[in-house]
Amino acid sequence: MSRISFLHAMWIVLRKELRDFTRDRRTLMLSLFIAPLMYPLMFLGADKLATMRRETQLDKPLQLPVAGMEQAPNLMAHLASLGIIAKAAPQDIEARIRAQQEDLALIVDEHFAEDWRAGRPAGLQLLTDTTRRTADVSVARVRAALDGYSRSVASLRLLARGINPAVAAPLNTGTRDLATVEAKRGALLTALLPLILVMFAFIGGAHLAMDTTAGERERQSLEPLLTTPVARGALVSGKMLSAVLLGATSILLILLSFKISAGLVRNASMSMDVSFAAMGKLLLVLLPLLLIGTALLTLLAAAAKSMKEAQSHLVWLMMLPMLPVFALSVYPVKDTLLWLYAAPFLSQSQMIQKITRGEAATPEQWMVYLLSSLALAALLWLAAVWRYRQEKLAISA
Amino acid sequence: MILAEALRKSFPGKGRDKQRVVAVDDVGFTAHDGQITGLLGPNGAGKTTTLRMLYTLMTPEQGRVLVDGIDVAADAEQVRRNLGVLPDARGVYKRLTARENIEYFGQLHGMSAAAIAQRIAKLAAALQMEDFLDRATEGFSQGQRTKTAIARALVHDPKNVILDEPTNGLDVMTTRGLRSFLKQLRAEGRCVIFSSHIMQEVAALCDRIVIIAHGKVMAQGSSDELREAAGEASLEDAFVKLSGSEEGLHA
Repeated sequence: MSRISFLHAMWIVLRKELRDFTRDRRTLMLSLFIAPLMYPLMFLGADKLATMRRETQLDKPLQLPVAGMEQAPNLMAHLASLGIIAKAAPQDIEARIRAQQEDLALIVDEHFAEDWRAGRPAGLQLLTDTTRRTADVSVARVRAALDGYSRSVASLRLLARGINPAVAAPLNTGTRDLATVEAKRGALLTALLPLILVMFAFIGGAHLAMDTTAGERERQSLEPLLTTPVARGALVSGKMLSAVLLGATSILLILLSFKISAGLVRNASMSMDVSFAAMGKLLLVLLPLLLIGTALLTLLAAAAKSMKEAQSHLVWLMMLPMLPVFALSVYPVKDTLLWLYAAPFLSQSQMIQKITRGEAATPEQWMVYLLSSLALAALLWLAAVWRYRQEKLAISA
Repeated sequence: MILAEALRKSFPGKGRDKQRVVAVDDVGFTAHDGQITGLLGPNGAGKTTTLRMLYTLMTPEQGRVLVDGIDVAADAEQVRRNLGVLPDARGVYKRLTARENIEYFGQLHGMSAAAIAQRIAKLAAALQMEDFLDRATEGFSQGQRTKTAIARALVHDPKNVILDEPTNGLDVMTTRGLRSFLKQLRAEGRCVIFSSHIMQEVAALCDRIVIIAHGKVMAQGSSDELREAAGEASLEDAFVKLSGSEEGLHA
């Protein structure tokens, strides 16, 4: 019998926890494969839905209820040539739009024909509910058709009076989009991925972290374990390391499934930086968060009276990664501010966005990020070790 | 040898009045090598708290514990090395086999694989657990679990053995087997302390008996000495008289 080192003890605990955990096949499968499988499904599903919406609403003939269509036969013919078929609007059209039975309607002013012939602006009204997003595409389509008609008739009228139509267009405004191609294509993914990755990195090791502390105490095996001569710090570190390994495996699988699913829909004009280098950087960004999450969960589980109490912490912990992201969407700041890279959760989502957009973080940003997040992880680890040294730990209530 | 001197431990009270509950007050005794020392007392008398202070899980507020001359407060790790403990909580890892459960503790004690295997063979024979040694402990009977926990506690061949109510929940045959195992430990020259609320068991096994009630030592000595001190012919009457209540009998 000999004294064993801190690291050796940690290794023994780690090996036992992983062996114990991997024998529980169903839990193993659930905690490792749910997220990697969900991701491509969500991703392909969202892509498919967006394509479907565009196709059905842009290419198919659009039925447009029109009140007073007999006043503007030429306009109706123009709309019909663009696949917008006018039909007489029922009397209760406003109520029908409110009830979402119709997306939109066009009201032709009762003096339309008169004004048109006199060369005065002829009135049209587009009825829609702007808070209903289902109407977006149809409204934009009708509006574009009406604008086009208005412009071409205006040009004709100017020409008929011997004036160059360019006189009536003093400005010619165009937009040049400076977003990188990757950023534009992966708009949906970039919105979704950081949150998923951050959440899974944060609570990916939750199951093991809680089970090996609160669960072990509840199963009455923690007290015997504490009667061995192993340092408490080594015990809790071994347990935490096993949770970190589980979390890291789960993140690796998510990244892999992300790479594969991004490859699947590349043709559907969706692409981001999914090179192995980018994946490696993502892993480097997520590992400190995994350490932070595991240490925090272990600390909470050691302080909780029961497994149930420990698990109820998960609710607010799941919300935690989302808060800074919401805050940013309400109050956007430029991503060049250095403190952004020191704030937990905020820094991860910034870094992940940079990587997936194909931009490079500066060495300064990397340094601030890694130092601050590793320092937080170390602090929480110390707190967990301190909690493990408390007398109360072993005694289940 | 385990020496307990004037141990005291209290816990924060619950409820509105919040008075601290004194669980153990001025408990002291000596447990010698080659002897079985029994802590006898009704439920809630402070036996488990006393034992927890002996096996370093709790720090006494007053008094001290010496194990083989080493102060627990000074070097708890070295004390744990010389101590085999069956705590009140005796859960085993249900997805591991009995052998793997025992091996884990052997490794934590820094034993080599060969030494562990040798020791497991010996303990399995002594505790009659060969037929379930390589089964996952899920679904074990209470007796099988207790045997696994005892083997796990003794894997490192400790000189001192502390068992908290080892016969709790066991059937007659298993209890008999366990008693002869404890006698074997004594014959090997170990210092054995065990707690129980069953008087017959303590009378049958122990060289020295420490009667604890309400957190205090009411009396201690051999079975004969206790009878003499109480002036009663039977140990049962002596116990009732010395522990100052009848509750021990019904516990």
